[in-house]
This record gives sequence, structure tokens and C-alpha cells, in this order.
Amino acid sequence: MTVQTREQTREQRQIQRFTNRETQTSAKYLRRLTELTGAPEGIEPFLETLDRIYVRMQGADVPKGTRTIGTYCVMAPQELIYAAGAVPVKLCSGNYTAFSVGDDIAPRDACPLVKAVAGFKQTGLMPVYEDCSLMIVPITCDCKKKIAGMLGGSCEVMTLHIPASRGDSDIDSFVSQLYDTAERLEAVTGQRITYASLAESFRRVGYAQQELSRFIRLKKQDPYLIRGSHAMAIMNAAAYMSAEKWGLALHKVNENLKRRAAAKQTVTSKKLPRILLTGSPIVFPNLKIPLLIEESGGIVAGDETCMGERGMWDPAVITDNSFDGMMRALANRALRPCPCPTFADNTQRIFRLKQLIKENKIQGVIYHVLRGCLVYDFEYRRIEEELGSLGVPVIRLESDYNEEDVEQLRIRIEAFIELIKLRQPAEKRTAVRSGF
Amino acid sequence: MRSKRKIIVTVLVCAGLAALAYFAWLLPFWEFASSDFEVSWDKIFSWAYLKTLLPLGIIIALSAAGIVLTVKLRKALAKADKQTRRFAEIRGSRPNAAAPKQKPAAFMVIRWIVMICSAAVLIFGGLIFGLGVSSLSIPVLSCPWNSEEMTSSSCYYLSHLNELFELPIKNILLFFGSSVLFIILLGRAICAFLCPLGLVQDITDRIRRKTKTEGLAMNDRMYGALKPIKWALVLIFIGLCFAGGNFCNFCPMVAVAPILAGISTSLYVSGFLLIFVLIGSFFKRRLFCTVCPLGTLMGLFHRISLFRVKKDCTACTECGACYEACPMGIKQIYTERSKADVTDANCIMCGECVRCCPEDNALSLTFAGAKIYTSSRIKIMSGYEPFTKESEAAGYDRTDKGTDP
Repeated sequence: MTVQTREQTREQRQIQRFTNRETQTSAKYLRRLTELTGAPEGIEPFLETLDRIYVRMQGADVPKGTRTIGTYCVMAPQELIYAAGAVPVKLCSGNYTAFSVGDDIAPRDACPLVKAVAGFKQTGLMPVYEDCSLMIVPITCDCKKKIAGMLGGSCEVMTLHIPASRGDSDIDSFVSQLYDTAERLEAVTGQRITYASLAESFRRVGYAQQELSRFIRLKKQDPYLIRGSHAMAIMNAAAYMSAEKWGLALHKVNENLKRRAAAKQTVTSKKLPRILLTGSPIVFPNLKIPLLIEESGGIVAGDETCMGERGMWDPAVITDNSFDGMMRALANRALRPCPCPTFADNTQRIFRLKQLIKENKIQGVIYHVLRGCLVYDFEYRRIEEELGSLGVPVIRLESDYNEEDVEQLRIRIEAFIELIKLRQPAEKRTAVRSGF
Repeated sequence: MRSKRKIIVTVLVCAGLAALAYFAWLLPFWEFASSDFEVSWDKIFSWAYLKTLLPLGIIIALSAAGIVLTVKLRKALAKADKQTRRFAEIRGSRPNAAAPKQKPAAFMVIRWIVMICSAAVLIFGGLIFGLGVSSLSIPVLSCPWNSEEMTSSSCYYLSHLNELFELPIKNILLFFGSSVLFIILLGRAICAFLCPLGLVQDITDRIRRKTKTEGLAMNDRMYGALKPIKWALVLIFIGLCFAGGNFCNFCPMVAVAPILAGISTSLYVSGFLLIFVLIGSFFKRRLFCTVCPLGTLMGLFHRISLFRVKKDCTACTECGACYEACPMGIKQIYTERSKADVTDANCIMCGECVRCCPEDNALSLTFAGAKIYTSSRIKIMSGYEPFTKESEAAGYDRTDKGTDP
């Protein structure tokens, strides 16, 4: 009897400890985001969403009775989920506390993102995970494949095979996978996907993408209009908000940024070094790198990560307005424009980076690698060479989901920013005296 | 083994086409009691005109029946298949809702107006404007059997080269001069802007879009299969006259332009072929253009024509929307990553790739260096206007509907 109670209290204490640590870390990162100067008006709904999920530990904000479907990659088409009357949530995790739990479950060399997901699954404490009626896991790497198997126990899981190349036959087979997904979604939600509901979901997601393209256009005009950490918080919040709610909230931010641009009001009066962040996904609350960059006097002017601006950038272009045409548009959008390193030949990522460097006037690139994220690590070399030939400095930052490496990261980031400052023409510095 | 079979099938199909073209006069689709090559307004506004239109009406009716049958058959097949059964009903029925559609671009509107005017001029132009420029040859498939065609078509003498060299030297020079001039000036833009057979095929495609029927999703394997057929048709087109055949008995356009002009001329294989062209272009936009011999010959000069497709390779995300949209199946338009000029021999300058390109300035159509149509994200997204009447009916609105659990 006493043994049992002791066991129970131990368990309760564990849960309590997990909850405390989880909420504290998330609250800390939210606080750092709010303390950072220059947040645009209208950012509140996004921070509120992150607060709701990670600090208050509630499920995604969806109308009662609406099912949520978990997705683990942007290649799982949101449109299909909306068409089945459900709301997608992106469950790729950046949580340190869940990571420490998952560290004991997953093998040592697994990536922290997957460890964190495994941790949440083990504790079963996060409503946003527990509420899901179905989880769609596109198999983009070995870790995702194994986590799909681990998730299988408590929740329905469906995997999507991601081909190694993007040829015509790969698209065709992905289309038939999407039909299977549609069938599975219908079985879960009990709602049929019709032509009308699919067309409608294209409009809903399209609206969010329309606002996103306005947002990126504004950022492009002036890299100092908004801080990258804030932009990243906005992009991260998209994972837990429905497309139209997110779009409407972003609309308000865009209005504010437009006013800022008209008034020539920027987040800083100094010419801070403009940095592009690329590499492994950066998921709340693992915002330490963008926050460190901006706290050390740089600005994240561009972002090419899949939980960031890349994830929703490409619209599904309907070239044939039949039902099958829309499905093909989804398959095409999921595979072809995606610069994910899961594909064997991913040269298009280099072009994408070059374009971002040109458009956002980037001075340096920080290549983020999560420990154990092999596919991203593989591409670093090629990108370093290509960008080196352009004269853009690149550094590779490897990090894990904990705060032990923060000081080390800070030193490297500060040094990198100093390097860029030295390279740029001095502003308001007195000219070197000569002629004595 | 498989490639061997493929070669044999291809050779058989091409030989079959050649035989069909050679013996075309043995297979009459419709024979008039007497041929009548007179064209006048009086004739067009008389009852006799309806009688000459009869074969065309039959062709259209047969094509429509063929299309309906194909759709029905496809639906039945999809229902029988275990994998496609669930969505067979939705895929095969005509929905009331509309998919997101972008606002029509000025380029597209102009293209349609030019296409319609050109078809009218090439068919009835002689009646309206006289035959002052009739010795000019434009490389289009608009039938020169129609004596009231305002300009003549290069297709006749190109497919009857033995007759061409019997003409006086002045006419030969005029023929080559005007044809080459049009090819340099417009290139295969002629196919998208001037060709009446192109208009016919675009109309059938429009009908498919209106009815939201599922098209034939082509891939590079199918385009690859069409390639030998295309070159076989070029050979037939040029060589048939030397073998003693007449390409006009085979050409599908013979069944359209002269009949519309009120000429009662007998139809041979061309009548049957037009049915295939109509059905084919309904499911696959501009199917005939992908194998058109005249267009292929024009495509040989694609390096010197003034219409160009330009690409900004850094702006491209390789999303492949252009390839999905392209009626000619040109793949390098999205895979090309270094050249700024992506004009291809098959490109007909229809502008569909530019219309579907979601990246700003990534693709553009230029004429003599001036940009006339450029891709833009805003134009693409104009199709995704949210919160329409349908969405309100479905229960979505701009107000926050979230409820705390």
C-alpha cells in the first residue's frame, strides 16, 4: 500500500517537474522575445498562441468538435486536411524538456527534434499532441521513419513516402499517395472531401500565403523593418493556428509594417549586420540562435528553414481545375519546389540561398545544424563552397536542445558578427588619419 | 526486351500513319454529290450553307459522343478499380463549386481576340477585305482549299513541293520570302495566335475547363512516345507528294475551314482525323500541336525568331508549375538553371507558363527584347481570393471562432 502511494507520488512529482521545467523554459523564451525591441504591433496573437500551447499547456485553438491532425513536415498537404474538415498542427518539436526525456528513449545519435517528439509521446502531457486524431509523418529521414513507428502505439499514424528525386513518375506516385491520405482523413473525420471543400481549403491556405508573400515582400524592401526572431515566432505560431486565423493576424502585422515602411521607421538606427539563417528547422522554444544573433547586435534578415518562411512560401498552382488537377497541384507543390535535403539532388537550395542573399542584401550566412541531423550536415560543404565563391562568409553552428552550449554559441556568433562589421565600410567612423 | 517492343510499336504506328495518309483517298468520310468551290456572302446566308455544314456538324456530334463515352468509361473503370474507387464519383461528376482561378491577364485576353480575328480573317477574309495580299504565305494550318482565304497558307506548297517548283520564279520567291519573314517575325507564336486549328483546340480545352472534367495528365514518357510520331508526320507532310499521295486528304484542317467558308469539298481521312483531334484536344490541351508537322518545321527556326521566353534563373524555385501548365510538355523551362533564354523548338508562346509561374519576374515573354508578359506572385494569388460566398456558406468567416476548451 505504502509502496504504491510512494510510487504514485513519485510519478506525480515527475509530472510536476516536467510541467514546471517545460513551462518555465517556454515562458523564458517568450519573455526574451517580448523583451527584444522593435516587435511590430499585432504580434500578440502569435505570442499568445505559443503561450497557450507551451506555457498554459492547452490544445490548439480550434472550434469545439473540430479534429486536429498532426503533421511532421511541410510536405504533408494542409489543404487536404482542411478539406476533410480538420485542422492541421505541425508537431515537429523544439522543446528542451521533452528532449531530455526523449534522450533516454531514442538512440544517442538521433536528432534532438525527434528526441523531443519521443519525449512528448512518452510523457503524454502535451494536449496539442494528445488531441490529434491522426498523425501524418512524411518520411524525410531515418529518424522520422523510426519516430513514425514509435508514435504508432497511442495514435493513428500514417506515413508518406518521400521519393529521392522529383521526376514525373515520382509526382504520379505521390498523387496516388495523396488519394490514400484523403481516404484516411475521411475515415478519421467522418467528413467527405468534395470538390467544393477542397477548392475552399485552397482558398483558405491561399489567403494565408497571400499575406505571407506580402510580409516577405515588405521585409525584402527594408531588412530592418522587423527582427528575424519576431518573424520566426510568427512563422512558428502558424504550426498551431488555423490558416485563416493566422492569415488575419498576419494581415494586421503587415498593415503595421507598411506604416513603418512609409514612415521610414526601423527597428534600429544602426546598420546591423544582416544575417541569413538556414539549415535544420528552428522550432519554438529552440529560438536560441536567432535570439543570440539579435542580442549580439546582428539582425536575421533572411530565413530559409522549413518551420520558417520556406515552409509556406510556395503556393499550390492549379493548372487543371478538375478534382484530380487540384490533387496534382498539391503533389507538385509538396515535392518540386521544396529545397529539402532529403532529395538526392538538391542544387535548387543553393539557387534559393543565392536569391535570398541578393534580395535581402545578406552579409553573412549562419548554417544551423541540429546534432545528428545528417541530411543538412551533408549539404553544408557544398553551400560553403558556393557561397564562398560569392564572397559571403558562412559558419556552421551545431547545437543541441539544451542550454549548455549557449555560451559557446554566443562567442562564435559574436565573432562572426564582428567579422562582418569589419568587412563593411565603416559608418560615421572618423577617417584614418594619413599624410603626416 | 521492353525497349525492343517499344521500338516495334512505334515503327508500326508510324507506318500505319503513313499508309493511312497514302491511301487516304480510299477512305471517304463524306462525299458531296458535286464539289463547289464558289464562295460568296449570298451562299453563306442561304439554306444551302447549312447543307455544306452538315459533315462538320456530324464530326462535332461524333466527337461529343466520343468525349462523353470516354468520360463515362473512365468513371466506370475508376469505380471498378479498388484503389481509385473512393474518389471515382467526385472525379467523374460535374461540381457546382469553383476552384480558385486567377483574374484573366491582358496577354491572354489579347491572345484570344487575336486568335478569333485571325481565324475569321483566314476563313472569310477574302470576302471582307478582298484578295489583295493573297500571294503572301503564312505558315498556318488554315486550309488553302478555301479560295477566299485572305492570305495563302504555306502548308499547301510545303506538302506539295513538286508543284511548287513548277511555279514561276516570282511566286517561289514570294512563297519562301513571306513564309520565312513570318517565321522570323513571329516564330511559333503563329501557332498560339494565328492558327485556326489552334483556336479549335483551345475552344475544346475551354469547354473541358468549364465542365471541370479531368484532363489527361501527361508525363515525359507520353511526350517521349509522341516524338517519333511527330517526326514521322513531318516526313509524311513533305514526302507524300513525291510518292504520289496528297496530304490534304489526311489533314484535319480540311474538314474545318473550307466547310465554314461554304465550300462543299469531299472529306476523306481528314474527317475521321478531326474527330480524334477534337477528342484528343479536349482531354489534352493542344494535342495536335504537339505532333503538328508544320509547327515542327517552324520550330527548327526557333533560334532566330523575335518572340522569346526569358527566365530569371535565380528567381526560379523549380516548382514545376510551368511544366504542368505547358501544353507542349517543355520540361527544361523549369529545370534550366543557367541560361536566360529558355525558348524551345516546341514552344508556341501561349504564355501559359508565365501565367502559372508564382515567382516574380521568373518567367517572361519578350518580343524583340521588350517584355510583354511577366510572371507575378500577386497575379497568381489573385486567384486565391478568400472568403467568397461559398466560404461563407461553408461556415467560415473573418471573425474569430475559436473557443477555449
